[in-house]
Amino acid sequence: MNRLPKQSGEVIDRSQPVSFTWNGKPATGYQGDTIASAIAASGNTIFSRSMKYHRPRGLLTADYWDPNAFVQVGDEPNVRSGHRLVDDGMVVDPQNVWPSLDYDAKAANQLVGRFLSPGFYYKTFIHPQKLWPAYEKVLSKFAPGGTVDPETPHGYYDKRYTHPDVVVAGGGPAGMAAAAAAAEAGARVLLVEHGHHLGGHLLWGSDEDRALAAGLEVAVRAAGVEVLTNSTVTGRYEDNWLGILQRSHPVAVERLIKARAKTLIVAAGLIERPYVFYGNDRPGVMLSGAARRLINMYGVKPGNRAVVFTANDEGDATVADLERVGVEIAEVVDARTGGTIHSTKGSQKKIEQVKVGPGDSYVDADLCITAVGWTAPTSLLNMSGDRPVYDPAAARFFPNNTPDNVLVTGGLAGDGSLDQLVEHARSTGTLAAGRAAAVRHRLQALTARSVDATGDEPAMPVDDRTPLRRDPHPELYRSTTHGIVDYSEDVASKDLVSATKEGYDSVELLKRYTTATMGPAQGKLETVNTVAVLAEARGETIAEVGTTIWRPPYAPISLGALGGRIFEPERVSSIQPWHTANGMTPILAGQWIRPEHYGDPAAEVRNVRANVGIIDVTPLGKLDLQGADVPKLLNLLYTNKWSKLPVNGVRYGMMCAEDGVVMDDGVTGRLGEDHYLMTTTSSGAGTVWEWCENWLQTEHPDWDVHVTPVTTAYTSINVAGPKSRELLAKLTDVDLHPEIFEYMQLRTGSVAGVDNCVMWRIGFTGELSFELHVPAGHGLHVWEALLEAGAELGIQPFGLEAQRIMRLEKGHFIVGQDTDGLTKAPTTGMNALIKMDKDDFVGKPELGWSMEQDLPVLVSVQMTDPSIVPPEASQIVRPGTNEILGRITSSRYSPTLEKSIGLAQVPPSHASSGTELTIVLTSGDRTTATVIEHHAHFDPEGARLRA
Amino acid sequence: MPELNLASPVTSTYAPNEGAPLSLTDQTDQAKVVVRAASGTAARKALAVSYGRSRSDGEVLITGSRPDEWMLLGPHAAVKSAVDGLPTEGHVSVVDWTHGRALFRLTGDVAASALEKVCGLDWSDDMTPDGSVVSASVAVVSCDLVRNDVDGTPSYLVLCDRSFGQYLFDALIDACNEFGVHATT
Repeated sequence: MNRLPKQSGEVIDRSQPVSFTWNGKPATGYQGDTIASAIAASGNTIFSRSMKYHRPRGLLTADYWDPNAFVQVGDEPNVRSGHRLVDDGMVVDPQNVWPSLDYDAKAANQLVGRFLSPGFYYKTFIHPQKLWPAYEKVLSKFAPGGTVDPETPHGYYDKRYTHPDVVVAGGGPAGMAAAAAAAEAGARVLLVEHGHHLGGHLLWGSDEDRALAAGLEVAVRAAGVEVLTNSTVTGRYEDNWLGILQRSHPVAVERLIKARAKTLIVAAGLIERPYVFYGNDRPGVMLSGAARRLINMYGVKPGNRAVVFTANDEGDATVADLERVGVEIAEVVDARTGGTIHSTKGSQKKIEQVKVGPGDSYVDADLCITAVGWTAPTSLLNMSGDRPVYDPAAARFFPNNTPDNVLVTGGLAGDGSLDQLVEHARSTGTLAAGRAAAVRHRLQALTARSVDATGDEPAMPVDDRTPLRRDPHPELYRSTTHGIVDYSEDVASKDLVSATKEGYDSVELLKRYTTATMGPAQGKLETVNTVAVLAEARGETIAEVGTTIWRPPYAPISLGALGGRIFEPERVSSIQPWHTANGMTPILAGQWIRPEHYGDPAAEVRNVRANVGIIDVTPLGKLDLQGADVPKLLNLLYTNKWSKLPVNGVRYGMMCAEDGVVMDDGVTGRLGEDHYLMTTTSSGAGTVWEWCENWLQTEHPDWDVHVTPVTTAYTSINVAGPKSRELLAKLTDVDLHPEIFEYMQLRTGSVAGVDNCVMWRIGFTGELSFELHVPAGHGLHVWEALLEAGAELGIQPFGLEAQRIMRLEKGHFIVGQDTDGLTKAPTTGMNALIKMDKDDFVGKPELGWSMEQDLPVLVSVQMTDPSIVPPEASQIVRPGTNEILGRITSSRYSPTLEKSIGLAQVPPSHASSGTELTIVLTSGDRTTATVIEHHAHFDPEGARLRA
Repeated sequence: MPELNLASPVTSTYAPNEGAPLSLTDQTDQAKVVVRAASGTAARKALAVSYGRSRSDGEVLITGSRPDEWMLLGPHAAVKSAVDGLPTEGHVSVVDWTHGRALFRLTGDVAASALEKVCGLDWSDDMTPDGSVVSASVAVVSCDLVRNDVDGTPSYLVLCDRSFGQYLFDALIDACNEFGVHATT
């Protein structure tokens, strides 16, 4: 066991032991341990195998970014054990090893490692192309990562939208100080910390460091800052639209927060950078931060005898920490005085010696610590448009030119004592609050609903912060030997040099060719070393080579978090409970759930033809039109004339776009002198409303017309069948006599005791029909009253399928089914409704031209074999050839006619009655159909619906 | 014939959770009337509230729901009286939306936090104060929202197309569950 006695800064709770399994064996830890710290405390040094060569790997950074610490937890793959807290009962296993972590057969890859150079896959598996499927199967066996069961239940993920004044990315000392100062200045502040605790690097520092962190946290809480730990600002987009991944939500597995920050403060700190040398991936080689985290936060002894290669204060502090907990310091190699390390020796599973210089001596050690500097994680700055600049004197990148609403503080901005960093951060917080206040004032002035903005808009505060200094630091990237640069992708410095020689000598090309920086760490550890090796290979400086641009996300986001809660709005009519209780088979039509049928659509058809049926047609679009200029609007939007529609009259209209293509159809009735009710197709309700508003608002704002959508204000019921009048007469005070209430007329009155119902004598089924529009809150009542009153008349409800059969028997086309995005109005055969003598209407010029063209014609057809129903969209071809002439747009078996019928679009040459058409079935077989004289297969004179 | 009750689109039942931090109440049976009045009309002056804001006139809540459009909410008789009293000269129209819209009231100190889960608006007191009116997508459904605090406690009226009523009620409960919610239908 490597567990140390209690450490003053430890974050584990030793009174709360945790049991779990690692690699199939029982293990223990404490609440607050990461999986990695618990495993390390148990004496394990190997956590994974590398991606390509399957070399044993130990802890490198012991935090979120550790490329060697990916594990499988239960059914969850790719868990970052350096970050995820251990929990009771966890089953933790290594990933992608066979047969075991200790003896992995795939490590044989190292024997052919010299052949696995960059581009190996591209060069090797491109020929012969026909073997690629076989290659793919084999290569997939070597894919890294864990496994996931496709049957795993979807977890509960969440989303949140928030609009804080200031978002602070990073909860270290600078982030905390900035957040507190911004909040004290009156801003609403959201502080986002990647780790589990506020404090940043102070957490693994001295007691004084932790006391400072605690004081800053008290200030943060007292100022009312909203704090999110274990959360990451993953991206910055236009106008400070920020993605924040919250991994610490009490209910959701993860939550994606979309924050619109008025000011963003980037206080992401610095990420310690590995050193490139031979054997730098042997277990036992780790960064100074890893050692200090293990010791001070988790009470874990990282080794027994250490060589420490240091170039800075952090390295020096690591020496002190190691000595304090009883690790023997074999040698301190100080880069500032010319010291270096060349390589490690040992087995693959642990280091045994470190070759140090000057002098090239070997020192026995089981632990090799490096402290060679930091990478500035400038991701959020890159996403803000900044192009950070490399400073060779300080050996890292610094911000260059950020927008006004993005401010930088902490280690990203420069160096200094803790007091100086805190002071800079507080100035940054105050500045951010001032800038946010100016933005907020502007937003309030522009937003109708907000509290009125008082006074003039405040001036945008000027940035008068005293810049932080930059401490000198030696440039330490690669030693005299080659080693691993990208631990995730198993890319070594010699691979980069070799790729550069092949011609991949721009950093963007090199990255993609070698995959360096493209692993799970996404460049946090590797980018600068990659650039440095490339610069060295090209004989240039890092500044001359430049760097890649960090793009979102800063840290991975699960697909679950991106998806969030699943919103799938469903619309139902007020009759839905009855449909559900009475055996409907549902069908999703747009967002509407509708009854397709109640068991036997053919029987439903026969009943409507013989008796009476009712169908719920609530989704039919409905618009209330009021105003003296409504006829002008109707004349503009429909192809036919509307000026003489009388009160209580109903008229059918076809609506075209400017190009003459049919966009919708429906009937409109005149309820009063200046009051109309327009119906649209179910799917076109929203489009037609917008179409009306578009013309009114942009072309005719002078017209007095108000358009109000009322689709769901009414429950719409079609009562159809020869006994429909007899049925309705039992329930309404409206005079239904056929000479009083004629076809294509409307009435308003009560039905089943419900006032203000609108009743239209129209129909889609070809039968005597009444379309009722009932105030929706009473829709179910009317439906049930109709069924009760109609029992002795043989009433049955019918669904969408029966309606579609009957409309096809009647030859009515459906916009979007029998027409498409190219179907112009003349194709429908409704030329009588295209009134070219009107002054103007939408589509008139195009229709005038197209009526002279040989457009396709919509015809009704009957199949030669009455039992064959060709699928809709079946092609119609010239006999004996594959030349496509047209297509079947609708087809059904007609229970009324006992034959297969359809509608089809064909060229004029094939539109005459009696023409035989050849139809290709999905099987490839061909069948024939004959064009009939009328669109209507049934009652072409319309005697039944006019009865 | 007995007077008919206006049936709500919310037909599911919910276990009581009295004392929960949030309450969600179905108030679909309230009257909802849309008045549209062009510039310069007397009706506009009588309504006396600007777009984005609301005011109470006795039992009736008059909301400036869109430019040139108001929605009056409240008991049926009171709303009818208020509408009947409006001047009608000029281009003025009235549409009864009582049956066309579902109406829910979400109340509680953390109501804004629940709304943040389903709606992208800024619910802070300075951007959406008591009395404010706004249209927005809530759980992917187009809604009108009115902040109408109750005895100093944040409270929001949410209106949507009636056909979405059951879906939206359930979506709001789901958003509220992490805080605790008592649903009344």
